[in-house]
Amino acid sequence: MNYYKEFTVTAEPFVPEIISSLLWELDISGINEEVNCLKIFAPQSAGLTVEQMNEVLQRLVNEKLLRNYYVEENLIEDKNWNEEWKKNIQVMKLSERIVIKPTFRDYSSSEGEIVITLDPKMSFGTGEHQTTRLMVKALEKYIKPGDKVLDIGSGTGILAIAAVKLGASSALGIDNDEWCLMNGIENCRLNLVDDKVKIRLAEITQIDEKEFDLIAANIQKNVLLNIAEKISAKLKKEGTAILSGLLDYDTDEVISHYKKCGMNFLDKYEMGEWAVLIFKN
Amino acid sequence: MAKKITGYIKLQIPAGKANPSPPVGPALGQKGVNIMEFCKQFNAKTADKDGLIIPVVITVFSDKSFTFITKTPPAAVLLKRAAKIEKGSPEPNRAKVGKVTKEQVKEIAQIKIPDLNAYDIDHAMSLVAGTARSMGINVED
Repeated sequence: MNYYKEFTVTAEPFVPEIISSLLWELDISGINEEVNCLKIFAPQSAGLTVEQMNEVLQRLVNEKLLRNYYVEENLIEDKNWNEEWKKNIQVMKLSERIVIKPTFRDYSSSEGEIVITLDPKMSFGTGEHQTTRLMVKALEKYIKPGDKVLDIGSGTGILAIAAVKLGASSALGIDNDEWCLMNGIENCRLNLVDDKVKIRLAEITQIDEKEFDLIAANIQKNVLLNIAEKISAKLKKEGTAILSGLLDYDTDEVISHYKKCGMNFLDKYEMGEWAVLIFKN
Repeated sequence: MAKKITGYIKLQIPAGKANPSPPVGPALGQKGVNIMEFCKQFNAKTADKDGLIIPVVITVFSDKSFTFITKTPPAAVLLKRAAKIEKGSPEPNRAKVGKVTKEQVKEIAQIKIPDLNAYDIDHAMSLVAGTARSMGINVED
């Protein structure tokens, strides 16, 4: 289990903008500004100490920007912070055929429906987001029986599981987040597809498999731009790439870049401010 | 009908890199907000500001939905950009690592004045100049 150090900083006068501004000089992961204190977070592995915090804050005292300050350190466990949100989620119908059922809800499926059971924790892909719905819509159209699928940024495993339930012979889900590895494997077991769907902690550059019929990647623009050539190299000739995590205003840049990498733009689906792009290799 | 606001959350996180670990997880989780949904939106909307620290104010409503606005980067980040340096000095009194002009300090103070609780532009400039000196950045005329 990962642990984080939480440093609570109080100061007189309380000038959060100036204090937080300087604390970014240290190896921290983020700041929560509360009414009368700042909570500074850093992975325990970063080794940040109260002494280092004091040293930075003392500089502000020297400059007469602070009169005094106090730093308190706590160790907190990085856990599933989504428990409170989870209480409210319901069964979701993502398309005509695909239904997402949280493990703790009941659902009686109708004929022809594909039910995916998920235990949503701290991974992307719970079914609530418009991009997941758009990705599922595209998978329903472009998956062919027997396809070999790669899901980059697999999160809960929702797309890899959906791909196999829609007829793919196998799917490999990769993610660089440990939560996703555990949660993805757990969800594959819940859906009895763990013989066909493998989840791995990896980046696209770290896998040997290639010749995929279809690659799905619901991540974000910069990552998709960076891995365009690798996606093309991992696809079979005429294989399909389905990409999202994109805001509508980002799509022109992504289409242009993927065309430069030798891929042909096929289609675009939109929902709200989000979009999915489909390319052929 | 307008939704009831149940709280505000103020965070500072690197652009395009929000994830469910602290500070995002505990801050949003205790208000019942979908953490992953926030990360997805924040990362997509700040993807072009890679490398910058982005302050974000999240408004949480009674139905657990949320909206957010992003603000300008902290003063220290703007100072480093103005001085063209990667990092401030660990010994600001002895080792100077860069310089900015008073005009640049004024520009940064004007950008940051809404966030500085400053009485006026002169007070904001003195806060920004003090921040610069505490990073080993000289303020020159």
